[in-house]
Amino acid sequence: MRIEDIFRMSLNTILSRKLRSGLTILGIVMGVAAVIALVSIGQGLQESVNQQLSSLGGNLVLITPGSERATQGFGFAGGFGGQNSKTLTDSDLRIIKIIPGILYATGVVSGSVSLEYNSQKSESRAQGVEPGVWELVQSVDLESGRFLSKSDPNGVVIGNRVAHSLFKKEVGINSQIKINNKIFHVVGILKSTGGFIGGSGDNSVIISKTSADDINLVSSGEKDSYSTIYVKTTEGSDTETVSGYIQDRLRSNHHVSEQNQDFTINTSKTIQARVGTIIGTITLFLGGIAAISLFVGGVGIANTMFTSVMERTKEIGVLKSLGMANSDILRMILVESALLGLMGGAIGVFFGTLASSIISSIGGISPAAGPLAGRAVGTYVSLEMVLFALLFSVCVGAVSGLFPARRAANLQPVEALRYE
Amino acid sequence: MDSVISLENVGKVYRNGGVDTPALSSINLKIGKGDFASIMGPSGSGKSTLLHIIGALDKPSSGKVIIDGKEVSKLKEPEIAKLRGEKIGFVFQFFNLYPTLTALENVELPMVIAGKEKKERVKRAKELLEMVGLKEKANSFPSQLSGGQKQRVAIARALANNPLFVLADEPTGNLDSKSGKDIIDILENLNKKEGKTVVIITHDQSIASHSKHIIRIEDGRIVGGAK
Repeated sequence: MRIEDIFRMSLNTILSRKLRSGLTILGIVMGVAAVIALVSIGQGLQESVNQQLSSLGGNLVLITPGSERATQGFGFAGGFGGQNSKTLTDSDLRIIKIIPGILYATGVVSGSVSLEYNSQKSESRAQGVEPGVWELVQSVDLESGRFLSKSDPNGVVIGNRVAHSLFKKEVGINSQIKINNKIFHVVGILKSTGGFIGGSGDNSVIISKTSADDINLVSSGEKDSYSTIYVKTTEGSDTETVSGYIQDRLRSNHHVSEQNQDFTINTSKTIQARVGTIIGTITLFLGGIAAISLFVGGVGIANTMFTSVMERTKEIGVLKSLGMANSDILRMILVESALLGLMGGAIGVFFGTLASSIISSIGGISPAAGPLAGRAVGTYVSLEMVLFALLFSVCVGAVSGLFPARRAANLQPVEALRYE
Repeated sequence: MDSVISLENVGKVYRNGGVDTPALSSINLKIGKGDFASIMGPSGSGKSTLLHIIGALDKPSSGKVIIDGKEVSKLKEPEIAKLRGEKIGFVFQFFNLYPTLTALENVELPMVIAGKEKKERVKRAKELLEMVGLKEKANSFPSQLSGGQKQRVAIARALANNPLFVLADEPTGNLDSKSGKDIIDILENLNKKEGKTVVIITHDQSIASHSKHIIRIEDGRIVGGAK
């Protein structure tokens, strides 16, 4: 029997029992839709993190106070706002600066501040940075205005949210804003970063290190310590090697060993790997839950195929009397169940993608906050995932049909013909 | 006369729960090319079992079944399937048409199974439907046809692969007398005009009277008419 005729017969059977076929594939549809939607959240998250990290640049090294163990493996806790432990000092910065392969190294202090604009008060985080260097290390772009310069001690560069939504009235270039009751002039507004990495969030304000000292951003006892040291390596050097040098020098400067190390070094690569692992686990967990429904869908197909084979016992007997070989019967039932799987998979992909874009648009993961604002990054349905889902559904269908198909093929023609 | 079907000392015993029930014993039978044979017997006589064995749908417990010169018990499953598809044309009492296929597609089905080309299939199926007088019903589904029309489609289907013989199991058993007569006429014409070998299983004496050769069976044994 020709394979195209087997497909035609299987399709004919499926289409002639539309309601039953529809109900049968419902399980697969829901399973695939759930897998696509849930995994797309994970992949979207991963994609957005990757893009943010790549915007930081591959040759960035971040040094934060506190040990990795203390932050329970997340490592970049300093980046989330810093710990005011007094472990990164000017002397550390000086040591780092002379390590070969380093283009820039700059320390940043950060802390909470009160803001006041147009008689409206708010809280924010401020970073005290080294004008002229910070912007070279941080790959953040300006929306308008300019970066800080050494000649304007009272200048401030504000995050995107601070400018546009923190206050009722928009904060523009040259506006005056009070930080810890001291008047600053807005010289620049940053582009939205969505940044939860590196601490340069949309909610923060950037002032010079000198001004930070003036407004007591950190307590006076911690004035010579940094909440983060940013290092940018030279083009030709290997960031991982350089971060190894930094680690060695800082350990000897702090008289610590691996066990009691009081600082954490991260490169964009290590951050990416860690975030990737976390997101991967979440994705796997979500996908696993959804996969259970796919499995249940498969059981549904097996069940229907069994009933179908039972009901069609006589029909199968007739086909055998008309010369259909056992192998063709087997193929016909298998193709039928695989087609059911494929149809379920295809419809599932459609609804999964739809659900994914709905999740994205209602902002479950706030796609509008990232540097990819305007581009939907909340969820991400990849071609590989779609192909995998389709292939998987076909396999689920075929495997579910295997047992019923064997049963049909092995029916004795005379028994089958007698069946009522 | 060449024999198309030959049964030598065929016996069939059904084993059920350790109890042996003999259905056929010592059947010797030859049906020649161009024959029009009726196998007659009361119900429970074993005629259906005999039909299944002649149709290669069941295997005998003992003896030899030779169809077209081949001993069926020595063939493997795909070869037996091929034999059924290409050498035997079945006509059943309850038509057994595929409900989701049109009359034309039902007639095509044995040719689909035999792997024939679409064009060739459609041409042959149309010719056969015309022959049984159902040219205009080609695109009707079985549910839209009367019993007699369904059986005519079934005869056209049985002839699709130009089989060596047509094996009909009570072909008029489910029809009114007029339709039944039409069916017998078609089978008779097939035998007379085209020389097709026809074997009919029936308990209807009036059908048997049309045949050249009546085989009577009682209690699993042939009691008359075997050659």
